[in-house]
Amino acid sequence: MPKWAMVIDLDKCTGCGDCMAACKLENNVAIVSPEQTEEGRVMFWMDMMSVYDGEYPHVKVKRIPKPCFHCDNPPCIKVCPVHATYINPEGLVGQIYHRCIGCRYCMAACPYTAKVFNWYEPEWAEEFKTCLNPDVSLRMKGVVEKCSFCAHRLQVVKEDADAEDREIMDGEYMPACSESCPADAIYFGDLENRESKVFKLSRSPRAFKELEGLGTEPKVIYLSKRE
Amino acid sequence: MTEEKTKTIDIDEALYRPIYETGRGFYLTVGILLMIILFAAFMYVRQVYYGLGVTGMNQPVTWGFYIVNFVFFIGISHAGTLISAILRLSKAEWRRPITRMAEVITAIVLAIGGLHPIIDLGRPDRVLNIFTAGRLQSPLLWDVTSITAYFTASTVYLYLPMIPDIAKLRDRGGKLTRFYDFLSWGWQGTDHQKKVLNRAINILMVMVIPIAVSVHTVISYIFSMTLQPGWHSTIFGPYFVVGAIFSGIAALLIVMIAFRKVFHLENYLKLIHFQYLSTLLLIMSLLWFYFTFSEYLTGIFGAEPHEMDVILYKFTGPYAIFFWSMVVFNFIIPVIVLSFKKFKTIKGILFASITVVIGMWLERLNIVIPSLANPRMELGSGMYFPSLTEWSLFVGAIAVFVLGYVLFSKFFPIISIWEIEEGREESIKEVEKRVKSYLPGPAETSD
Amino acid sequence: MNSTENTSRDKIIFTAQLASISLIWIFVIAIAIWILNLISVSVDLNDAPGISIAISLVAIPVFFTLASILTYVFVGFHKNSKSDLNNTLGD
Ligand code: SF4
Ligand code: SF4
Repeated sequence: MPKWAMVIDLDKCTGCGDCMAACKLENNVAIVSPEQTEEGRVMFWMDMMSVYDGEYPHVKVKRIPKPCFHCDNPPCIKVCPVHATYINPEGLVGQIYHRCIGCRYCMAACPYTAKVFNWYEPEWAEEFKTCLNPDVSLRMKGVVEKCSFCAHRLQVVKEDADAEDREIMDGEYMPACSESCPADAIYFGDLENRESKVFKLSRSPRAFKELEGLGTEPKVIYLSKRE
Repeated sequence: MTEEKTKTIDIDEALYRPIYETGRGFYLTVGILLMIILFAAFMYVRQVYYGLGVTGMNQPVTWGFYIVNFVFFIGISHAGTLISAILRLSKAEWRRPITRMAEVITAIVLAIGGLHPIIDLGRPDRVLNIFTAGRLQSPLLWDVTSITAYFTASTVYLYLPMIPDIAKLRDRGGKLTRFYDFLSWGWQGTDHQKKVLNRAINILMVMVIPIAVSVHTVISYIFSMTLQPGWHSTIFGPYFVVGAIFSGIAALLIVMIAFRKVFHLENYLKLIHFQYLSTLLLIMSLLWFYFTFSEYLTGIFGAEPHEMDVILYKFTGPYAIFFWSMVVFNFIIPVIVLSFKKFKTIKGILFASITVVIGMWLERLNIVIPSLANPRMELGSGMYFPSLTEWSLFVGAIAVFVLGYVLFSKFFPIISIWEIEEGREESIKEVEKRVKSYLPGPAETSD
Repeated sequence: MNSTENTSRDKIIFTAQLASISLIWIFVIAIAIWILNLISVSVDLNDAPGISIAISLVAIPVFFTLASILTYVFVGFHKNSKSDLNNTLGD
């Protein structure tokens, strides 16, 4: 069984935010009005953390892309009352939008604040509606959603591989963010495959995981010389 | 039979009067309360229609007033059944006029509190999913189970000791005789029936105590089972239970004082009852402080950075005002008021109880919001301002409580009449016997 | 009051009481079935069934005890009221 994981090289990342935009388009994430954003209801599956270090004028800004970490031991699925969020054997943590009752317990339990909630019925501008991605189901108001590692792409890749009767190649299954990154800072692949780029990078001395001490075993690994 | 009837009428008439005499005040209260409730219902329907966006919740503060009130109301509900069971179990004779009032609080408030998580749902239409696809492993379902158990147990525990009183109402005749006949389950007051009833009450009161404790422990588990700073703490179970009993006693005192005033029950609820109960309140206040102190001292001493973020948010950050007024309301005021005999009048006790109820509500607020507002990731801290919808549902919930109580007192005596009678007839002898049995016997002449 | 009217009224009320008792049993049994269903779901999905079973071991007996207490009271009241009636009649 493959174990899908992401490596984000913070030394390469320029903080441009292309991954955020690509993700929003790929996954039909609702566009939230500026007033709502003010109130803290912005919806990003791929978020960007900004950390300011030091005092003015010597401020260093760190920009850190933050998707769902697809924890191997996810605190979010343990608390869901209705099996609406689950981890599959390939390590992808998914959401079942049609079953979620919207209790938001999983949001409260996620140490990475990776989930977002549909506070209102999701909305798109008229001209936008024609270019929604048909592979990703639309959400309704009152349910939780989050980064899926573009699991719909895996579906396509799997079908192709099956048809040609071969294994999935390294780099064949890529989420939108890693595909779009102009700096090539986001790698994606199979952690179980010792030949994969992701596996090699995860062994790099620069590699670290967020909040490792919690035992959630995130499958998003950062690379950085800093700190 | 008729002779007997007239006799009972005379002694405890004050307890029957509210049932048979309906004044203008009653209709006025019910009318006003119904209006408030209707408005709250309208706001709720609006929330279901538009989505939870009409509340003040956001990311990262994904839980707001609804969960705070859920914990708060369930806490209040501990007044009743638990306290009444403890008083019954310890054979405290002064319990007699108090138990019924306490049990009614439980039944009503528990129903209100239990509804709050449903109000909080983003998709209330799918609530039945917990029956078909539920996960008993989720602390939320532990709650559903234990609250249902507690609700069943406490209604049974309210109902059984009410049977003899219902039979009395049945025997007095009137419009609702059939209703009372149905509810009285054929009670005739025979010795055998008394024995059966007493045995059932005894079993129940032993059962109800662990159930009540489990309910609030499980509610604390909702928070402590997550990994969030400020929540992930083993002290939460007993801390919540103590807080629940604390706020429960305060609410009970307020209700008692209100009914004493409105129904003129000065003869039944004497200063001594309030003083005994307020001593209990004082003890709980000290216990509460002890738990709060231990909880925060361990946090501060360990100084784990994320934990400290939450604590500083409460101590000096945006929640400082709520945190420190909680300490004043829950500890400083009640301790000062209740430790001095001079202040321990009905007015003083009422004042202390009101501050405790407010303080305990603030405590729940202080537990739920700051932990959510300070995520572990570097996202900055969030803020939460409740919207009009949340306020009106809060007020509506309180109105439902008052309405429920008013209606209950319209149909049933608010003080257990037969237990008062029993107290008059038997317990003086019984207590004398009991006290004698504690005392050292006649000195056996030692050789 | 007419005595036949009285007894027929008594009968209606007694049936209503019986119905309420059976409602409680239906409620309790429904809860038990619900919990068993959840356990079977968690076994199917291999999703920590141990916890579910532990909870059900506590929860189900509690509900059944509550219903039994109510039934005990109801039966206890009625068993005696009949023999009592006989006594008074005999006197
Ligand atoms: S990052 Fe959060 S949402 Fe994603 S798997 Fe981990 S706990 Fe769940
Ligand atoms: S919000 Fe939905 S997915 Fe999250 S815990 Fe509740 S039901 Fe489960």
